[in-house]
Amino acid sequence: MTALAVAGLSLRLGAFTLEDVSFTLPANDVMVVLGSNGAGKSVLLETIAGFHRPARGRISIGDREVTALPPEQRRVGFVVQNFGLFPHLSVAQNVALGARGLRRSRAGSDRVDVAALLARFGIGHLAGASPMVLSPGEKQRAALARAEASHPDLFLLDEPFAALDAAARGQLRFELARFLRELRLPALFVTHDYVDVAALGNHLTLMHAGRIIQSGAVDDVFHRPVSRIAADILGFENQLAGRIEGGEAPLVRVSIAGTVLRVAGVAVTPSATGEIYVVLRAENVRLTHPIDAPAGAAENRLIGTVVALEPQGALTKVTLDCGFRLIASLMSRDVPALGLAPGAAVMALIAASDIHLVRP
Amino acid sequence: MIAVPRTWRGPESIGSPLVVLAAWLCGGMLLTFILLPLLQLFAVQTAGTLLQVARESDVRDALTLSIAGAVLTALVAALFGVPFAYFLARAEFVGKSAVAAVVDVPLTVPHTVAGIALLMVFGRHGVIGGPAEDFLGVRFWGTLAGIVVAMLFVSLPYTVNAARIAFEGVDPRLEMVARTLGMGPWRVLARITVPLAWRGIATGLTLTFARAISEFGAVVILVYYPMTAPVKIYEMFLRYGVEEASAAAALLLVVSLVLFILFRHVAYGRRPVAGGGR
Amino acid sequence: MKRLITPILLLAVAAAMTIGGARAQAAETTTLSVFAAGTLAVPFKQVDQLFEKKFPNIVVQPQFGGSVKMARQITDLHQDADILAVADYNVIPKYLFGGDGKTAYADWYVGFVRNAITFVYTDKSKFANAITANNWYSVLARKGVEIGRSNPDTDPSGYQTVQMLSLAEKYYSSPGLAAKILANAPLANMRDTETSLISALQLGQIDYLAIYRSDALQHHLKLLNLPAKINLSDPAYSSFYAEGVAHTKNGDLTGKPIVYAITIVANSTKKAAAEKYVAFLLGPEGRKVMSDNGFGTFSPAYAMNPAKMPPALQRLVKPWPAS
Repeated sequence: MTALAVAGLSLRLGAFTLEDVSFTLPANDVMVVLGSNGAGKSVLLETIAGFHRPARGRISIGDREVTALPPEQRRVGFVVQNFGLFPHLSVAQNVALGARGLRRSRAGSDRVDVAALLARFGIGHLAGASPMVLSPGEKQRAALARAEASHPDLFLLDEPFAALDAAARGQLRFELARFLRELRLPALFVTHDYVDVAALGNHLTLMHAGRIIQSGAVDDVFHRPVSRIAADILGFENQLAGRIEGGEAPLVRVSIAGTVLRVAGVAVTPSATGEIYVVLRAENVRLTHPIDAPAGAAENRLIGTVVALEPQGALTKVTLDCGFRLIASLMSRDVPALGLAPGAAVMALIAASDIHLVRP
Repeated sequence: MIAVPRTWRGPESIGSPLVVLAAWLCGGMLLTFILLPLLQLFAVQTAGTLLQVARESDVRDALTLSIAGAVLTALVAALFGVPFAYFLARAEFVGKSAVAAVVDVPLTVPHTVAGIALLMVFGRHGVIGGPAEDFLGVRFWGTLAGIVVAMLFVSLPYTVNAARIAFEGVDPRLEMVARTLGMGPWRVLARITVPLAWRGIATGLTLTFARAISEFGAVVILVYYPMTAPVKIYEMFLRYGVEEASAAAALLLVVSLVLFILFRHVAYGRRPVAGGGR
Repeated sequence: MKRLITPILLLAVAAAMTIGGARAQAAETTTLSVFAAGTLAVPFKQVDQLFEKKFPNIVVQPQFGGSVKMARQITDLHQDADILAVADYNVIPKYLFGGDGKTAYADWYVGFVRNAITFVYTDKSKFANAITANNWYSVLARKGVEIGRSNPDTDPSGYQTVQMLSLAEKYYSSPGLAAKILANAPLANMRDTETSLISALQLGQIDYLAIYRSDALQHHLKLLNLPAKINLSDPAYSSFYAEGVAHTKNGDLTGKPIVYAITIVANSTKKAAAEKYVAFLLGPEGRKVMSDNGFGTFSPAYAMNPAKMPPALQRLVKPWPAS
């Protein structure tokens, strides 16, 4: 059974639009919707929740068509940025409000024990606390407990981590992923940060300017974007203009500023002039000391000079000049061993299968 | 005044003795400006003069009438002004700023002019007053209804503005979340929006009450008898002079002050300090 | 700091101009502060215009309101006024002559114009087409007629109206006439001054308004010509007027002719200019303006305590007739 089916959703809301948005979410799966700001992700979520009426299109949650229903009858759990706990009520009262909503719509079939629910989420000791004194982790648990209390058919999460620092995000992402897995809940998670993707979802959908530009299994979409915009959204640091030189399947030769790379490319039609774009993730550029032995068939070796180093905590981004600009990413602790410093020579190893081609 | 962040914990946080001095000077001057005339009014009174004027039945009647009128005005303002303020806070439409400006217009109209304009509408031949008298038997000339109408006209903007600002401070996403929990729009208003906006609404209603109870110019065009407190005080000034009139004025002030304190206690007393939910 | 220089300079220039301007005005011109009854507003503004043309270095600043209110502004609120003109000559001795330990603000007054009490109405008024100077007292007593008047406890025209009605009872030999008419003038229709009710009359909230004849002419309202014997307009009928009584919270007040009085306030610092003003008012130009506005004039005016008046003015008056 499909948890969520959206067909042909279109609407215009001031500067935001949705253009013919269609996708399905199989039962008990989590779909991450990724897109830059202004892509329409929040509008999509709010429309599914029932706050905007689409000009065209239909929405089904489970086996119910909900397109004409008001939000309070759609049975969705909605988690917003900063978690949206009601500041004038205690944690227990917040959760109880969720339960009361259930009681109204399903005539008391499952009575919810608020205390038990709080204990299950590990915040039993915070029952009487005000939401204003909770840490982000505790707020998330309270918001999830509250949403869970209304026994929703679908969870919608709209960038709940957006205002948090990196450390808090990491911890909350982990807990949320565990929560969704354990309860086997279908969920739609909207974010603009691609780091959230791997931790949370098994489906990935990319949105841009109100349209869905790619949708599929996380691995598929994540490693094989269909366009430059998709690669942008996914955070591909290297997007290089090149030219197809030919080659025998499954390897294709692409030249970039004079250097030839071997790519295990999926068939992508270049432009009439043979132009193509090469996209490559920084972590797939492995740096070593220069090696003399020849490269394998499905491997590329480039000699380059370090231009800049950008430490970012546990990882360091290295900008190289190999005849063209290349960005690599490695563990910061490996930097000294390789003697990386501006001007140093270094070898970059890139597997042919890690390089992906998109239309210009 | 200089805007200071809410995390300002004390004079040490500002770091400049000059700023502290300026703050004290401005604050001191403002408080003196307000308190000096009022204290002067009380200085010539004794408990004796206040009790004596309180014993006069028509002074007590005037005070009661003023309080009743102001309370009714605040109730009407709450009933009509608060929902309208919510609408102004949430809805977007062409001409919205014009509508919001119109709400403020009564504040700029001279009170006598306002009274005459209200007489045109609510008088015997007025577009509302005529049918009201013919079909409902309701008169505004010389009645409590007329007092409330005049009070409401000059004091309604305070409720609408304060409530609108308070509602704007409530994150609409909280209302959205509440809807998805199964609450219909009215329940969301009652359990979430209004409690979070309550401080602002209560402030607006207090200002409306204060403005209403002190109104003279607009009220006196429609209603001279029965006399509200300001009209009575003026009549006492004409008949007896400054001393007796200021005794009655001091009594009105004392009663108003007590009412404000009571209302604040009831309205703000046990509620937690609620922010906007951001 | 640089950005503040322009606004500070502008402020300084504005301040200098204001102070300089004020001082310049003070040096060259005298400002006369005149407190007067509301019903004198229109004629006095015309008088002031003519007066200022004749005496260009005197500026008149009038303030109008109920006679008692203006008197109290002098005695209780200690506001500075040079001249006080009231609608009932009794107001000046009552409030300004002092005595009983109260400060004296004046010790003479001059009765300079007369007025009459009448009822005014518009086309919209009930029975406007039927009412005449002969049947007014029965028309006004009819059910559904709304009559407005001013508060007898605080305003001369208020108690004068009541006095006139009690005189009318005797004149028409119709006992109960006053009560019947006053029944149509309930408290709801009462105000501090009768001029406050003119808008109510024009809007049709009331049908008839008890007011001075001069107001009727100034506002172009229809009026009833009541007999001189009851409308308090002629000092010759003073003894009959005294039989009319108004019971007010200030005591029982007997009828007197409506004579407007004027005096120069004792603590005025501009007595020379004030004398010129009073002289102008009492002279032919002033009298013409007043009669054009519906007031009856005296020629010469009556003065109470003329010996205490400035000599220049004593020539223009004759002593108040003994009542």
